[in-house]
Amino acid sequence: MHLRFRLILPLAAAMTVIMAYPLVFSAWISFHDYRLTRLQDVRFRGVENYAFILSDAPFGRALVNTMTFVAGAVSIELVLGLGLALLLQRLVRFQNFARAVLLAPMFITPIAVGLMFRFLLNSELGVIPYYLATIGVEIAWFDERLALFSLMLIDAWQWTPFMLLMFLAGLEALPKDPFEAARVDGASAWITFWNLTLPLLRPVILVALIIRALDAFKVFEYVWAITRGGPGDATETILFHIYKTGFRFFRLGEAAAMAYVLIGILMFLVIVLYTAMRRR
Amino acid sequence: MTAPTQDGLLSRRRLTLVAIEFVVALAIAIVLFPFLWIFLASIKPPELVTEPNVWMFPPTAANWHDVLLESDVPKNIINSFVVSVATVIIALVTGCPAAYSFSRFKTGSGTRFSVLAAEMMPPAILILPLFLVLFRLGLIDTLAAVVLAHLTFVVPVVTWFLIGFFDEIPRELEEQAMIDGYTQFQAFYKVILPVVRPGLAAAAVFGFVLSWNDMFYALILTGGESRTLPVAIAGFWTFRGIDMGKMAVAILVAVVPILIISFFIQKHLVRSLGGGAVKF
Amino acid sequence: MRTQKWLATALFAGAASAMVSGSSLAGSLNIIIEEVPDYDVVRVLTEKFAAENPGIEVTFDAMPFDAMRDKILTSALASSATYNVIIVDNPWMEEFAKAGFLTPLDDFIAADSGYDFEDFVGPLRDIGVVEGSTYGVPYYNYALGLIVRQDIFDEQGIAVPTTLDDYVDVVKKLTNDDFYGAAMQPQKGYKVMEEWKNWLYATGGELFNADGDITINSPEAVKALEMYIDAFNTSAPEGSVNWGFDEALRAVASGRAATMLSYNWMLPALNAKGGMSGDLAGKFTLNEVPGGKAVLGSWSWSIPANVDDKDEAWKYISWITSKAVAKDRVIAGGAPVRTSIISDPEVWEKGFGEDYYKTLLGILEDAAPLSSGTSAEELIDIVGTELSAAVSGQKSVQQALDDAAKGVERAR
Repeated sequence: MHLRFRLILPLAAAMTVIMAYPLVFSAWISFHDYRLTRLQDVRFRGVENYAFILSDAPFGRALVNTMTFVAGAVSIELVLGLGLALLLQRLVRFQNFARAVLLAPMFITPIAVGLMFRFLLNSELGVIPYYLATIGVEIAWFDERLALFSLMLIDAWQWTPFMLLMFLAGLEALPKDPFEAARVDGASAWITFWNLTLPLLRPVILVALIIRALDAFKVFEYVWAITRGGPGDATETILFHIYKTGFRFFRLGEAAAMAYVLIGILMFLVIVLYTAMRRR
Repeated sequence: MTAPTQDGLLSRRRLTLVAIEFVVALAIAIVLFPFLWIFLASIKPPELVTEPNVWMFPPTAANWHDVLLESDVPKNIINSFVVSVATVIIALVTGCPAAYSFSRFKTGSGTRFSVLAAEMMPPAILILPLFLVLFRLGLIDTLAAVVLAHLTFVVPVVTWFLIGFFDEIPRELEEQAMIDGYTQFQAFYKVILPVVRPGLAAAAVFGFVLSWNDMFYALILTGGESRTLPVAIAGFWTFRGIDMGKMAVAILVAVVPILIISFFIQKHLVRSLGGGAVKF
Repeated sequence: MRTQKWLATALFAGAASAMVSGSSLAGSLNIIIEEVPDYDVVRVLTEKFAAENPGIEVTFDAMPFDAMRDKILTSALASSATYNVIIVDNPWMEEFAKAGFLTPLDDFIAADSGYDFEDFVGPLRDIGVVEGSTYGVPYYNYALGLIVRQDIFDEQGIAVPTTLDDYVDVVKKLTNDDFYGAAMQPQKGYKVMEEWKNWLYATGGELFNADGDITINSPEAVKALEMYIDAFNTSAPEGSVNWGFDEALRAVASGRAATMLSYNWMLPALNAKGGMSGDLAGKFTLNEVPGGKAVLGSWSWSIPANVDDKDEAWKYISWITSKAVAKDRVIAGGAPVRTSIISDPEVWEKGFGEDYYKTLLGILEDAAPLSSGTSAEELIDIVGTELSAAVSGQKSVQQALDDAAKGVERAR
């Protein structure tokens, strides 16, 4: 066998075991009435599971919530991450210290972040609302209108550092000559950023966006720790919904079908992004 | 150019710098505040934990004593560590040769992309079959189960990063080695791998953090002796109420070692990421 | 170089052996248990059992509520159980029993002289009975009661309300700028359901009628939810629409609210000196919920069907629930389940006083489980979601309850 394939062999074997097999198995499950409390009586249901969830309002709501969350959180992180990276680059003193601190949140396990902010933002008991109230700002962070947005902010607190890391790396790798030329031509900072930095950073931005977006689709811990999907369905996200259906209600058939619908949507998004990127 | 304008230019520059320092300082404060609050919560007497406006109080070491000496948290940390290290080692062993192959034999950007797409698989779809398979193998509640599950998202990310690093290494390097009598595999193993070491370190750190932070898989796959740290942290949230004091200690204990490591490797991380991983 | 390799091998071997830990061995009892105050008591008491039975090694696998359900399921599906003794929450009892996960205990109970099964409070005993067979023996109760700041009621000369109408009036009266009449827990799912169902009982409603038809959208239910929302909007802390048990408890403990509906055994914790309530310790009392009929929660001891040595498992369950040990457990702060012990003057004296236990017995005798049926867990989530939607104003009361009825119909 050619070296090219021999080198891929370990990866291919690992992926078959841990991914291909589970994927095929859960595809099979998604066409059955597969309940963990009734394993002796698994019935074929055809596409009934799919038909049901596609008409199921809570599932639709969870999808919409998740997409809103991903779009919102990732945009905030992108803007903040890029801004901070540019600022850090121009910082003269304390650069290492600032970078070390600003990257820290991504190293905390998300469940801890969730439980922490549950109390920091609590309307009666939390520090943040307390001090906001002293300056006359009263915000109910976890009510039906704001809860999803608050979760985005928490996500941004934890994951802006990832964007920052990617952009610091990207900026470091940029060629120096064009910037020198721009400086000599007397271009303003804004013009340089808009016409030079941003286009050159484009590949990095796209990579960072894709990685973060795919990861944000998996949001689970904050919901689990703070809102449990509420109030009502306001923060029910897709992974939390699937987890509940599969592991709390033991309806694996429906849960698997939901997961496949999600994969379909993600595939579509990824392909769109991919073609957008190739067109550059 | 006359003296006054230069002065004006200088002071304007200084002003910009001060503004930048102010914004960065603000960002640092936003990042550090929750840490400060957590630390205070860990030494507050129980009745003051959720009092928003208490900064002076007689500190207590009870929480630290209870968590470090009388709880399972030290064991949970070891578990998390074993899981993360094992996951990263396996990911590097399987991902590294494959990444080299993808990079050198130009398997095309489609392959790269599908490696990344593997990362997008929602945990919800993999967990159901993984759970059933691991269950049949008698591996539920073992660390091996968690390692297998974590490989599903660590392997793709690590492989994908490594492809970028290999791309950066000039082909002449192994061509020279092969002229010197090495086979291509030897060239990869003995010449290229040592060169790409910083990249390996960066990818390893990434994989480690991803595995260290996960709660979703660990929640479902571990129990008793095999519980990992995120699951243990979630465990401070019981029907006694969330034990903020003890949880705060567990969070700090979990975060501090990683922060120290990250402090030392960050510069490295940024540089090696800039070397190639952030490109397509 | 050689040392390095050796070290690496040793590390791997160590890691590998650490990763594959064995399941339970013969002569040992592995017990899954929830981390609640009662577990602390049980753990200490069990040392005595271990001393009396040197041949049996007892280990506890304690975990938070959220982890328990799938752990029990995993153990039940295995050919040989990981856990020889389990505890089952009341919404799961029928589901697990009908799935064949549990061992009928009737023969064990009948053969156990002096066990006096009838001594367990009726509603608690009934939870373990599915289609005529007994699958669980009561461990502890978490029936809901009304916890109030007695000092405030005394000061203002207000009697603790016994009807729902009075309760809503009183909490409105007690609310002012920075103090609230009621700390409520409208969080989606279990929390709002545990609280609101007491209101449902008070207006005379139920989830199902005697024929098993769904009555979640009955006029009684609409009234109960309307009153609940009224009280929440006027008398609960602002921005507390997502509060669960924990926030409500802390609000009461820190003196921000006058009343809460909560687990009866929170009272000793609130009144404990040096505990979470600081100077307010001792000022709280437990009362029956307004309307009288309370939501009953309870955990039961059960033996999984796939346990090899069931006699050994029963030996432990019988011991820990026996009158003598149950008395020690209650005196140490455990939540009582036996009538004889709740009525024992020695327990009153060494425990938390006569009033507390008498109120508790009153609560337990007129209480009904949170939810029943084989999909009780899902039912709680469905109804709990709709309740939360109504409380937060996303749906009208009628709409929310109609949707709840539809959802429950499908899940059944």
